Amino acid sequence: MTFVNLSLLGGTALIALPIVLHLIMRQKPKRLEFPALRFIQKRSDVNRRRLLLRHILLLLLRAAAIALLACALARPSIHFSGALGSQEAPVAAALVFDTAPRMEYRHENLSRLQSARELGLWLLAQLPSQSQIAVLDTRLGPGTFQVDRGAAKQRIERLQTVAHSQPLPRALDEALRLVGQSELERKEVYVFSDLARGAWPADSVEALQSRLKEVPHVGIYVIDVGVKQPVNYSLGELRLSGQVLSNRSSLRVETELSHTGPAGDRTVELYLLDNKGNDRKRSEQSYALDGDQSQQVEFHVGSLGIGTHQGFVRIVGQDGLACDDTRYFSVEVKPAWKVLVAAPDPPEQTALFLFQALAPTEYQRRGEARFDCHLIGLSELSRRPLDEYAAVCLLDPTPLEPAEWKKLADFAADGHGVAVFLGRNARPAESFNTPVAQDLLAGKLLRQARAPDGDVFLAPGDYQHPILSEFRRLAGAVPWQAFPVFRYWEIDAPRSGVGVVVPYSDRRPALLERPLGKGRALMMTTPVSDRPDRDPWNLLPVGQAWPFGILVHGMMLYLVGSGDQQLNYYAGQTAVLQLDPQQSRSTYQLFAPGEDGFPLSADLTRHLLVISATDQAGNYRVQAGGTTGVDRGFSVNLAPEQTELRRVAEEDLDKVFGPYDYRVARTRQQIERDFSEGRVGRELFSLLILMTALILAAEHFVANRFYRQ
Amino acid sequence: MATAEQYLKPEVINQIKRLDLRAQFIVKGFLHGLHASPFHGFSVEFSEHRKYTPGDDPKDIDWLVYAKTDKYYVKKFEAETNITGYLVMDLSRSMGYTYRQELTKLDYSISLAAALCYLMIHQQDPVGLLTFDQQIRNSLAPKARRSQLGNVLSLLANLQPQGETDIANSLTQVAAMLRHASLVMIFSDLLAEPEPVLEALYRLRHRGHDVILFHVLDEAEVRFPFDGMVELEDPENQQRLCLDAAAFRRDYLDEIEAFRTTYRRECSQARVDYVPLDTSMQFDRALTEYLVSRTARG
Repeated sequence: MTFVNLSLLGGTALIALPIVLHLIMRQKPKRLEFPALRFIQKRSDVNRRRLLLRHILLLLLRAAAIALLACALARPSIHFSGALGSQEAPVAAALVFDTAPRMEYRHENLSRLQSARELGLWLLAQLPSQSQIAVLDTRLGPGTFQVDRGAAKQRIERLQTVAHSQPLPRALDEALRLVGQSELERKEVYVFSDLARGAWPADSVEALQSRLKEVPHVGIYVIDVGVKQPVNYSLGELRLSGQVLSNRSSLRVETELSHTGPAGDRTVELYLLDNKGNDRKRSEQSYALDGDQSQQVEFHVGSLGIGTHQGFVRIVGQDGLACDDTRYFSVEVKPAWKVLVAAPDPPEQTALFLFQALAPTEYQRRGEARFDCHLIGLSELSRRPLDEYAAVCLLDPTPLEPAEWKKLADFAADGHGVAVFLGRNARPAESFNTPVAQDLLAGKLLRQARAPDGDVFLAPGDYQHPILSEFRRLAGAVPWQAFPVFRYWEIDAPRSGVGVVVPYSDRRPALLERPLGKGRALMMTTPVSDRPDRDPWNLLPVGQAWPFGILVHGMMLYLVGSGDQQLNYYAGQTAVLQLDPQQSRSTYQLFAPGEDGFPLSADLTRHLLVISATDQAGNYRVQAGGTTGVDRGFSVNLAPEQTELRRVAEEDLDKVFGPYDYRVARTRQQIERDFSEGRVGRELFSLLILMTALILAAEHFVANRFYRQ
Repeated sequence: MATAEQYLKPEVINQIKRLDLRAQFIVKGFLHGLHASPFHGFSVEFSEHRKYTPGDDPKDIDWLVYAKTDKYYVKKFEAETNITGYLVMDLSRSMGYTYRQELTKLDYSISLAAALCYLMIHQQDPVGLLTFDQQIRNSLAPKARRSQLGNVLSLLANLQPQGETDIANSLTQVAAMLRHASLVMIFSDLLAEPEPVLEALYRLRHRGHDVILFHVLDEAEVRFPFDGMVELEDPENQQRLCLDAAAFRRDYLDEIEAFRTTYRRECSQARVDYVPLDTSMQFDRALTEYLVSRTARG
């Protein structure tokens, strides 16, 4: 606490005045004759004590009024932060600008970044001479003090938004580190932000608060350039039916059309790029949205030829923020995956359910079946070459020869998938527990468990595994209870590396996965080959068996590795493209959106192409060998938090700074006031005068009541 | 237009300086308010006729005389047994107190006593007067003649409050003085220790006297209208006390009420008629009390 007129504090000595007056000038009471005095004398002691208390109360009130008045005239002020020195002393100042894409939001013909720039330049001019000034944005990387004020000005003028912006607390941490190194006594950090929720994530708070603990005497000013009630249409993250598709299946694209502000109509279009990179509209849908509402958007695109396909979904029309109106996607279309199904004799009957689930007859006839399924008897397995298949399914296998187990294990380790559905033929169990069989299987068989009452069924705990991804939207609505499992194989405790994908309702494992070399193996402890009229082990494929169909589809897609290739990234992520070893080349041309190609070297040992320059949203193309060579691609989108316009709640912002003080200002006047309060401190004059007035009023009231004539 | 009832108000009576008129006005106002002769039902005997005047009960009209003379005459009655009344007046210094500078307690008591005297003389009851401070100061033997009214009023008019008082001792003296059972009407503020006073009252009762105790206090003593810091002084013993009046009012009122309650309870047990009065109250309350007592005796 500091005082402008410290000497006036001496005025507090005047509190002696009422004390002296109290002692020497006691008020003379009105003298009256009163014959009935005897009734008063009985209680006079109590009365005298009460009188004394009132005298003391009055005296205290008067002394307090004088002391407060003297204190107020001395003009005390308190500092909200550790700002030191006089107002004109040089300051180590760091100006941190939020450069997330949402700062492009335009309001009153100015983007948020432009507003921040204007305020930043004005603020720059206010800083005292000889100040050290650093200008930081939310790109990754360390900050430095600018050489001089001119350099700082130029840096502010050249600020641009970046597609991948780091959270503000991290940039603030860097700014605090920087000003903490300065030898100047006064240190200040100014944060220019639209105060969007995505810019202040809770997970980066801890590092900031520990930094604040290290450099406590820093004035922190948050300058709000955001719009309190933005009007915007935005597209959410795109959800594709797959990033690698079969040429026989269609592409499903889902997203949300969200809207903040008053009701309105919007049309959403889906475009695909042709070979020359020109966009062709494939579909459009119109939506009417009420205020602050979102709607599901879904497109289906069929007839995609083999190769890489790119496109985008966009909202037609303009709004405040353009960068969240378009979302990009890339998919690769491959020939239908060949799947070999080996089943007990007669295989046409025993594999009927699985076969129909993977490649329904109707789909096969129309040529739309996602999988190209081949059916053989178990006895034929040893003779059949597996190279052309992407996955092999063993339905209720009998004990296999060691060479067959080894053949399947090698097949899986080579980057393929093997699924084993155990059933009544798995006898003796020991023959499945031999070391060579266990090289493929996910666990040792113990015994057959029975649940004749039908109270055991598949009970996935959550749906996070890729096999269950299609169930996520349904979550709790899948009627697993309708498909009881009467018998299944109990498995020894799963070894390390083996995961339970789906358990039964009694918590025992139903579906297990095991990574093997480059591929993987799945083991289901109950078969899907039993006819319902012949003492079946389960009723999974019976009746309205859509969960069974989705489950085996998920299993096959997982086994053939359709989800392994990621083609859609967020800005800032490193894109990795797997190359076909047959066509691998040493150099490729990368075409970033709107830019000319530049060369890129491939990792030929791992057959990978690694691209880290993904700081721009759009469709990227990688080509080599001309028109007959390799043509791949991937897409980059802005992360949802980069375009989230909802504002951070005041209490959440308080949590970011914890016990440390900060100021939020919107206008120049508020900033100037905060400067004054931050540097000079908050004047307590008005507060003290108010308190003096209240005490004088109390004194008047008590005295009036006391000395009423 | 002024009515007779107005004269029951102390502030009106205060404007009448002649005591005999005061007494007359008080009694007339009182009787007018009763709407019936106060003497009806007393055990009396016929004494003479007199002309009918408004206010007389028509059933007392003697119709035989009317038949003979064509004029209204009422039968006048005479008490079979007369009540000897004594007006006992406290002359202490405190009786001269008034806060509003209007009627003092003594003035109020004198007006009341005069009215009672007037009433009794007209009833043919002998009335006497005793005054006391620390002992009996004045004594006027009871007589029923009309001239007695003048004597009593004359003495009352010249009374002055003075010095301290000893009510108990004085009442004991009164008890000793009175040989026949009488109606003793005491006018006092009773500002003394209550126990000896009550003992003296018991003694009076024991001697067969009927006692009406008019406890006259000043309006300020009953309501304690002071505010702020005051220094109060007892006029009799000059004791002083400084206090915050507003803060003390509740305590004081509780005390005075307790004091009156003590007298009310004790007098009730001793069959003494206790009449608490203050100088703002109308006189009819006191007169009613006398008449009730008179009826009981009759």
